[in-house]
Amino acid sequence: MIIMENVHFAYDGLYTALRGVSLQIDDGESVAIMGTNGAGKTTLVKHLNGLLRPITGRVILDGVDTKHYSVAELAREIGLVMQNPDHQLFLDTVEKEIVFGLKQLGFSNEEIQERYDRTVSTLGLDGLCGRSPFALSGGERKRVALACVLATEPRILALDEPTIGQDANQKEKLAEMLRDLNNRGRTVVVVTHDLEFVIENFPRTIAMADGTIIADGPTNSVLSHSEVIHRCSLTAPQLTKAAQSLHELFPEIQARLTLLTDLEQEIVKVLGGA
Amino acid sequence: MAFLEVFQYTRQDSLIHRLDPRAKLVMTISLAVISLLFLDILPLLVILIILIPLLAVAKSIKRWLKSMKGLSFLLVFILVFNTLLSTTPYPFNHSIALVLRLVALMTSFSLFFLTVHPDELSQALIQMRVRFEFAFAMSMAMRYVPTLGQEAYAIMDAQKARGVELDKGNILKRIRNIVPIIVPLIIVSIRRALSIAESMESRGFGASQNRTYMDRLHFRKRDWATVILSLICMIVTIYIRLYIPLPSWGIPF
Repeated sequence: MIIMENVHFAYDGLYTALRGVSLQIDDGESVAIMGTNGAGKTTLVKHLNGLLRPITGRVILDGVDTKHYSVAELAREIGLVMQNPDHQLFLDTVEKEIVFGLKQLGFSNEEIQERYDRTVSTLGLDGLCGRSPFALSGGERKRVALACVLATEPRILALDEPTIGQDANQKEKLAEMLRDLNNRGRTVVVVTHDLEFVIENFPRTIAMADGTIIADGPTNSVLSHSEVIHRCSLTAPQLTKAAQSLHELFPEIQARLTLLTDLEQEIVKVLGGA
Repeated sequence: MAFLEVFQYTRQDSLIHRLDPRAKLVMTISLAVISLLFLDILPLLVILIILIPLLAVAKSIKRWLKSMKGLSFLLVFILVFNTLLSTTPYPFNHSIALVLRLVALMTSFSLFFLTVHPDELSQALIQMRVRFEFAFAMSMAMRYVPTLGQEAYAIMDAQKARGVELDKGNILKRIRNIVPIIVPLIIVSIRRALSIAESMESRGFGASQNRTYMDRLHFRKRDWATVILSLICMIVTIYIRLYIPLPSWGIPF
């Protein structure tokens, strides 16, 4: 369980990025963090594994303040996949790259082989293993970077903008994988601008603006709130727009909907069906 | 990396900032030559005592102190190793002089790089009849030093997040830990260079042979004064160094 208590952070002590963030993420939750550029989303996830330390306030992992741990120690519990895969890939084959992280964390050889095989097959990287990460396309490099962290099977997985540069098919695979990890009890935290991706896959959304949390709750209620949408500079989901238009014609239909099944139910109700 | 800050342009309004970059170049080179002429503690201290007020005029003392703090590890390293390994009669005296000389040289060059905007530098080079492409490459290189620094920090973060312990282990392990930082840094730089080249070409870089410039640099009285004063100082110092026997001020250690 992660608890942040009134976390403040400023880069170089001057450029304020977080002004009093408090949140709690329980084990096994699946949470999306959304917000405008510069809202403090990346700063927030970097606090999870200690890359950044709060100026005031505390970050508590399982009841212990994270200031007592080094980043490497926290990396065993919390896997963070950063935005730019080029910042972490440095070996000459994809295989070595994935194995590197496992060796760093000191797993036995059998364990390494097993985890490596599992990750490669889930992420569909079989064809790429012998190739140099630098010769891959942007989307592929992104997936390799993801594989490096996924292979360590951290208890808490934090992903910063994982859907950038991925086609619909890859995005669906990523979603599937995250759901699967979540079903196996892992905590998943994702920073993204991708509205559809959040609505379809994350039950809870935290919306941020100007270094504070402006809304935190079930995804469909957060993302159908017009002020949240506005302050996060998002476009309302098409389905919410449709629901709002229908609401004007049929006041019985609720305006704040994000899921197709909910809207279907409402329409069926209006039409008098069961 | 903090010591590099002293070579990074800072926007200020000061007498030194307003000087023509060519005049500042002459001044910096004169100061650097003067620093290289001596390897004794006292003359180098005198040079530093002249340099520090110049930094104060450029409103950059704070930044300089910060850089020197960042450099202190290297300075101590130089001091210790030279004292232990030097073959001169007074190794400690010699090492202090070496350290002072390094500081004096860095300070002289920092006077230039702290106060000359990359654009001004390229304009100065062009007016000194350097080809535009080279001048541009030079100012781009200056422009990307801080970016490279930021990139290095981002890469360190990414590797730490993978469990690499950058500040633990013996010296061999630490040296090996440089690999996961330096390889991505080089790759990212090459990638960026390629994409900058492409985007420059798509914006018409090199399309016209005869370039015109919006701002041109003009030598003013104060620039001439700086140049003349710098040259006089340099020539006088060279004369003193060559023809006037100076007493030894060293400490006998």
